[in-house]
Amino acid sequence: MSRDEVADDKGFEQFERFLEHWSRRDFLKRAGGAAAYMAFLGGAVEFLDACAGNSTTTTTTAKKGGHVVEGNFSDVRTMTSMLSSDTASNQVIGLMFDGLLNYKKNGDLVPALAADLPKTSADGLTYTFKLRPNLKFSDGHALTSDDVKFTYQLAYDPAYKDVASPRRGDLSKYIKSIDTPDPQTVVITTTQVFAPFLANHGLYGILPKHVLGGLEPKAINTAPFNSGPSVTNGAFKFVSWEKGQQVTLARNDNYWAGAPYLDQWIYKVLPDSVAVTNQLKTGEIDIGPVDPSQFDALKTTSTVAMAEFAVPTFTFYAYQLDPSKPAGPLFQDKAVRQALLFALDRQSIVTAVFFGHGKVANSVEPPTSWAYKDKPQVLYTFDKAKAESLLDGAGWAKGSDGIRGKNGMKLKFTMITNAGNKQRESMLQVMQQSWHDIGVEATPSLIQFPQLVSQIVNIRTFDMFLVGFNWGADPDESPLYTSDNAIAGGFNGADFRNAQVDSILNDALSTLDRNKRKQLYGQFQDIMSDQVPSPVILFNTGIYGVSTRVQGTDFGPFNQFAQRPWNHNVWVTDGK
Amino acid sequence: MLAKYVARRFFASIVVVLGVTLITLVLMDRTRGTYVPGIDLNPSLRPDDIARLRADLGLDRPFYVWYLTWIWGVLHGDFGRSMIDGSTVMSHILDRLPNTLELTGTAILIGVVIAIPVGVVGALRRGSKTDHTMTVVSVAGVAVPQFWMGLILILIFSVTLEQRGLPWLPSSGAYSAVNGGDFFDRLEHLILPATVLSFFYTSTWSRFIRSSMLEVLSQDYIRTARAKGMSERRVVYLHGLRNALIPLVTLIGLELPGLVSGGLVVEVVFGWPGIGKLAFERALQYDYTTVMGVTFFATMLVIAGNLLADLLYGVLDPRIRYT
Amino acid sequence: MIGPSRVAELDLPASGIETGAGRPAQSYWNESWERLRANRIGMIAGILILVFAVIAVMAPLFSAVLTHYQPQTIDLSATFRPPVSPHFLGTDELGRDTLTRLIWGARVTLGVALLTVAVSLTVGTAVGMLAGYYGGWLDDVLMRLVDTVLAIPAIFLFILMSILFRPTPVSLALIIASVGWGQVARLVRGEVLSVKQRDFILATRSIGARHLRLMLRHLLPNVLPVLIVAASLGVGQIILIEAALDFLGLGIQPPTASWGNMLTNAESYFFHSVWLVYFPGVMIFVTVLASNVFGNAIRDAFDPRLK
Repeated sequence: MSRDEVADDKGFEQFERFLEHWSRRDFLKRAGGAAAYMAFLGGAVEFLDACAGNSTTTTTTAKKGGHVVEGNFSDVRTMTSMLSSDTASNQVIGLMFDGLLNYKKNGDLVPALAADLPKTSADGLTYTFKLRPNLKFSDGHALTSDDVKFTYQLAYDPAYKDVASPRRGDLSKYIKSIDTPDPQTVVITTTQVFAPFLANHGLYGILPKHVLGGLEPKAINTAPFNSGPSVTNGAFKFVSWEKGQQVTLARNDNYWAGAPYLDQWIYKVLPDSVAVTNQLKTGEIDIGPVDPSQFDALKTTSTVAMAEFAVPTFTFYAYQLDPSKPAGPLFQDKAVRQALLFALDRQSIVTAVFFGHGKVANSVEPPTSWAYKDKPQVLYTFDKAKAESLLDGAGWAKGSDGIRGKNGMKLKFTMITNAGNKQRESMLQVMQQSWHDIGVEATPSLIQFPQLVSQIVNIRTFDMFLVGFNWGADPDESPLYTSDNAIAGGFNGADFRNAQVDSILNDALSTLDRNKRKQLYGQFQDIMSDQVPSPVILFNTGIYGVSTRVQGTDFGPFNQFAQRPWNHNVWVTDGK
Repeated sequence: MLAKYVARRFFASIVVVLGVTLITLVLMDRTRGTYVPGIDLNPSLRPDDIARLRADLGLDRPFYVWYLTWIWGVLHGDFGRSMIDGSTVMSHILDRLPNTLELTGTAILIGVVIAIPVGVVGALRRGSKTDHTMTVVSVAGVAVPQFWMGLILILIFSVTLEQRGLPWLPSSGAYSAVNGGDFFDRLEHLILPATVLSFFYTSTWSRFIRSSMLEVLSQDYIRTARAKGMSERRVVYLHGLRNALIPLVTLIGLELPGLVSGGLVVEVVFGWPGIGKLAFERALQYDYTTVMGVTFFATMLVIAGNLLADLLYGVLDPRIRYT
Repeated sequence: MIGPSRVAELDLPASGIETGAGRPAQSYWNESWERLRANRIGMIAGILILVFAVIAVMAPLFSAVLTHYQPQTIDLSATFRPPVSPHFLGTDELGRDTLTRLIWGARVTLGVALLTVAVSLTVGTAVGMLAGYYGGWLDDVLMRLVDTVLAIPAIFLFILMSILFRPTPVSLALIIASVGWGQVARLVRGEVLSVKQRDFILATRSIGARHLRLMLRHLLPNVLPVLIVAASLGVGQIILIEAALDFLGLGIQPPTASWGNMLTNAESYFFHSVWLVYFPGVMIFVTVLASNVFGNAIRDAFDPRLK
């Protein structure tokens, strides 16, 4: 061989050894870092209107040690996954507990405690999970399939019915049994084919059976574990909870993906969005959710980087469709519902009320969903003339007072939303004004949030309500739109009953074939765009302010609060 | 005689306590409706879940059953559990009470420390520019809404100072998120909220001391002391101030019952983890048990404080022991 | 506070000898009025409040003349305009004219304050009068009621009631008054108790005057100075309470404008458009200051001894 060839050989040998020494995680990290570096060189530095979230990795080596303070508005309520239903608790739980699966930032499932995505049986009823080898809790105890089964039992098993889990309804309906043939294998059998099962129920933090298993079911509701988990399986373990102030977490060296770089992660409770702005500026917090009204105030701060991305959160208003209620007769006619939507300049709402941080909704599905149809059957651009002609055509003529009337009814109604939310308050006023211009008298009324929820879910004497909502990763929207959720206690507050929609949504749930589901949801979106029982005004964007000293975060539509597979990768440049 | 007086006042207090609990509970019960505390608009919650949670929390029991069960618990020192997070109400109260006392106590301290010199100077230099300025500042200080003053102070002493690279004060919480909790750290966090809270005390008391001093200094015995050749300083401080301070003690005593609830707005502005903030947040979330527990607790303190004050007066001033 | 004995004694016409050389005897009220007039700053404060009250009452007229805008008209193309013509004080986040909203907000804020004061004083005086005059078991019952109401920390009560009763200006006034009357009742009762023993009351009783006449014609005028001071100081306090409730999200709800909720609303836009914070804040500050100064001036006028 020539000298060059020998040199090449040697080089190749070195490269092979190099590859061997890299751990899988290191490789991904460096690859991610390299990709980010290339993106940076490519000039992709602007964060606005990115629909896929933002990574803040750089190519410098990660430093060990230090802390991150993350701020948010609510205090934690419970730190046991099966008992929690609020965002703040889920967020802190997500730092301490992993589930079988997690989300990538676009909503795809990735394995967490499971070694791979589960094998699904041919009939779609059985999911077989293989856990990663050598999983440990923070106290060194092994994490096995028994722990997984125990966690789910708290919600679905009749023996544990005294446990006050908010998950019981779904899980007891859909889980038939859970088997653990060996410590590494979990087999979940469902009662029927339920497409969203993994996305909705595969992420619960797995709880330690050796700690909670000995308790009476009722005692679990008030166990000290809920206010301070003695044992965790996630990136961090619990240190302390100063109620009303903060939760302090420390690195878990037994984490399956490798110990985090950080020594501590602190979740701090803040008074309001202005406090987030102030404290991001002073550095009292490193990460915080930014309100659209505060975006400009933070944009110019050199020590804060903004991450902005589309999210499946949206604001919608609903017409009262129950003909027995006072306003019911007003909205029975589809022409009225469509006309009112045509009369709203939704783009100006996004610009003025949300400062441009949002997107006018064309469909009931969020743009982040794989089932999203960008141009459904009916598109609503702001068209006042069309609104007026629709109403005229439907027989609603303007009276002497300027308000439209028909058959002795006047197009007059009250809109409710919750007090304390500036954007919703503003939206009601824009709606009032826009509809006043076409001869409809809509009066805003602000009530407290619990009363709003009562109205929507139970009492239902409203004429129209405006509220925000949040979908998960699965495109199913049954809770809002199927007839069986129009009963007291369900979220179909508008009382929308459409047999076609019912059957489409049901079919889409009962098959695992993504293509077939996509087609069905396409039909669903077409019908909804025509019927508009609860028009969506806009889909929000999520905005996070991240201190420039914090690296490794990767916020995205589904990696916002609780589901963040990259928690352990976060590090701080000053190591403090 | 004294025993009878004490007994009367005590029984009167019991009546008041029962009245207070009734009012609080009626208010909360009236708003019960169908809301289940802690339930957000979460698409994965089913109607049967909500119904079950309602039953678990005991919300479908009739009002009087609720009341009697609650009173029974309170008599045993059991304030029940929060409907939102399941922790005992007593643990919430005990966690937050020291923080609130720290805040309001410091505010009172600042009030006294500033009010006395300001009041004395005002009295001694009555009518002068200094006197007028101080009056204006103290009158102006209480004309500003507390939350606004808090926000402005945060903007000046927290954000602006930090942006200029100067030493700055933190804007929320009772101590630093990381490695906090030592004395100086807590002090740092205490400065802004306690200052805002103390404005009212400073203003009221400084003007009170001023007029009290003026009244004392016009007394005959002061003239006598001066005539006897006592140094002005001794006259003012030894005789004047000491006598002027006695009513101040009464005023401070009157503030003590309000110690628990008085700082609510400041606590909310500065995210201070105290009882006021707890009551406010939980009221909005319809956490009945916590709100009733905190209200009851604060009211008990007020009543106990008043009772104590009455008793002390009864002991100290025999004239008041009428029935 | 005004010494109770002062009031009663000065009701009697002063004899020429005691008032010293020269000056003719004046009634107590005239004397106090003279003292008040001499207090320049106090008078300015009082006039200021009066001016604001007039503006508040005639809000539609003023806003039509000054600005031609409606307080709730939205103009999304003119948001966050700075204070230049035609929007003399700028616009807010929905394009509404600030000056117009300040004028209409005066109506709400001052309206709430005055209504609260009126209700507190009426109810409190009635209760205090009855309790002080009749004494005995009526006194006990009424005062226990007052104790109960005053024992619950006011802010807790306001929060609970604001959550329960949707806060319109009228309901908010009633909510705040529900605590205020207690303090007035205690005050009035104290005054009545001390005046009750005065000779002139016993004299009037002995000639057979009926209770109601006694209370209204003789006791009430002596209690009045205390009430006037309480009213003046009360206006300022209530404006601050309303602002605090707005900050907590429980006061006057948008779109109705009040100075308090305009101030709270503008907080988020401090860096953005500082004038939105400035104007309502100044209005609140000036009005509360004026009410405090005027209240002190009245107090000093009725009892110069405390100067």
